[in-house]
Amino acid sequence: MAEILMNTKDLSIHFGAHKAVDGVSINIEKGLFTTVLGPNGAGKTTIFNLISGLYKPTRGKVLFRGEDITKLSPIERINLGLARSFQLTNVFPTLTAYENIRLAVQAHSKIGCKLFMNFNRYIKINDKSKKILEEVLLYDKKDFIVATLSHGEQRKLELGMVLALEPEILLLDEPTAGMAIEEVPTMLDILKNTKEKGTTILLIEHKMDMVKQLSDKLIVIVNGKLLAQGDREEVANNPEVMKAYLGGGMTDGTPS
Amino acid sequence: MTGLFYNLIEMIIKRRKVYKNLSISIGGLIFFTTLLLFVTILPHVSGFSTKVLYSRIFILAVYGMSYDILRGYTGFINLGHAIFFGSGAYIVGIFLTHFGNNLTVLALAILTVLIYSSLAALIMGKIVFKGGGVIAAAMVTMALGEIVRNVAERWREVTMGADGLPFRVPDMFRDRIMIYYYAFLFLIIMTLALRQFILSPTGRVLLAIRENEQRAIFLGFDTKKYKMIALQVAGLSAGLAGAMFALLNRFANTDLLTVQQTLNALLMTLVGGTGTLYGAIVGSAFISLTQDTLLDLRAVHPIFDRWLLFFGSIYVLVVLFMPSGFVGLYNSKMAKLQVRLVQRKK
Ligand SMILES: Nc1ncnc2c1ncn2[C@@H]1O[C@H](COP(=O)(O)OP(=O)(O)O)[C@@H](O)[C@H]1O
Ligand SMILES: [Mg+2]
Repeated sequence: MAEILMNTKDLSIHFGAHKAVDGVSINIEKGLFTTVLGPNGAGKTTIFNLISGLYKPTRGKVLFRGEDITKLSPIERINLGLARSFQLTNVFPTLTAYENIRLAVQAHSKIGCKLFMNFNRYIKINDKSKKILEEVLLYDKKDFIVATLSHGEQRKLELGMVLALEPEILLLDEPTAGMAIEEVPTMLDILKNTKEKGTTILLIEHKMDMVKQLSDKLIVIVNGKLLAQGDREEVANNPEVMKAYLGGGMTDGTPS
Repeated sequence: MTGLFYNLIEMIIKRRKVYKNLSISIGGLIFFTTLLLFVTILPHVSGFSTKVLYSRIFILAVYGMSYDILRGYTGFINLGHAIFFGSGAYIVGIFLTHFGNNLTVLALAILTVLIYSSLAALIMGKIVFKGGGVIAAAMVTMALGEIVRNVAERWREVTMGADGLPFRVPDMFRDRIMIYYYAFLFLIIMTLALRQFILSPTGRVLLAIRENEQRAIFLGFDTKKYKMIALQVAGLSAGLAGAMFALLNRFANTDLLTVQQTLNALLMTLVGGTGTLYGAIVGSAFISLTQDTLLDLRAVHPIFDRWLLFFGSIYVLVVLFMPSGFVGLYNSKMAKLQVRLVQRKK
């Protein structure tokens, strides 16, 4: 078994009486592509919010490289190498595509609160921003105001922004959600390239066939609880998972 | 053959582009030269009130820009911004009244304005940036403004309370032409400094915060720190503007600390264009000149005794028909022009 980069222990959060996430212990192995599956409302996004520090858990821990990071702020977690995207596209809408990426690169460059030089005179930041725009296939749209880009382009842009942070682990919340069908393959290509570069990826999806080919590991969440985790085939063929899946629990998908 | 043809076309396009750029920059040059000439000649050919009017426009423009740094760039609604402006004016007045009317005291007063503004921004930021959202921040800053205004009103031995504080200024600020030039110089320097600030990497982060603070945080920006820097810059600028305003008027009163005074800054940025920096300069000119014209019209017809009504209507019309303000409108027109040029090239 590969080295465990990140894991949770008994992770739980309750909103009033509602146990949105309940006793979830998962292991994410370094360099692998892990997909979190589960129907809408299962608690997948909430797990991301707990891992990235947006929410504090009611109970349980988040560990990164074996260290307890449950008490760290989101910014401290990003500095450790956790970056995330959001289910609802989360970008800077009235800035250009280039400026969105450039800001992410600037954040990662750790130049601090510089006041006395023009922002576009940081050559290294500019070059890297352009490279990332090429990576997410948006270079020809670099001067477009983001709000005028298509939904799919905005998703790719957000992916570019998190890639700019050069994370150890990339948390992606349904990166293809709402995308036009013809845009999905390019997104999957970008994900594949990112994986091949050695980045650990944890991705949320509610349609199993969407990313099955890319996944090394699967985690299945139902009603806030962990149903199964492990190698792709093993989990996909798990009778309980099949039951939850075919029983209508998993919408919009059929096992392949 | 086709290659040659292509080259020819490309050459023509390039020529055209050079020409276009040149024509724009020539236009800009003419505009700025005319403006500079106008500004330089004006005080020598105009009366007392015009000189004061324009001096006021210059100084209030800086105050407006300082507000734009917060509202336009950071997305923070500060209803206590007059604290900086009014206190800057009071500090200058108090120093010159109580410690002697000379340049050394004035220099100390300016230094005090800077320290005071910085501390006030620090305290305000510590309270407001704890979280709680835009509305809470607006309410808290308004309350802070009221507190400071109350202190100025009650501390009669020093501020002369509601009567206001008249004072003498050092000789070099007595000449109306000179203070006009100082005010203009002040505007130029502050515009360049604030422009540099918004074009710095730090300034860019403010835009990110305005657009989407959560995303900025999840890129790893410590947004509280950046907001604090913005508040410091805005507070210092507004404090200095207040100090200049006091030197111009030789008078400070509690009006300078009211919510109304904060709203004046908001008005300037709205009319001129939020988040454009220069908008505040246009806004300041527009508001002061409109106000002045309406007041003059009172001599023409008694209906203009209700000048505030007209002023309000003009303001509403401008905001209704130019929601992005003068400079905002200009910027979007220019952007559209650029798009058209690019399309034509294709
Ligand atoms: N901040 C919150 N307050 C109250 N309930 C929440 C909150 N966040 C998530 N939930 C609830 O937790 C459950 C899981 O939501 P979510 O994690 O978004 O599901 P998924 O991403 O798997 O579709 C939902 O029932 C949702 O209403
Ligand atoms: Mg979700």
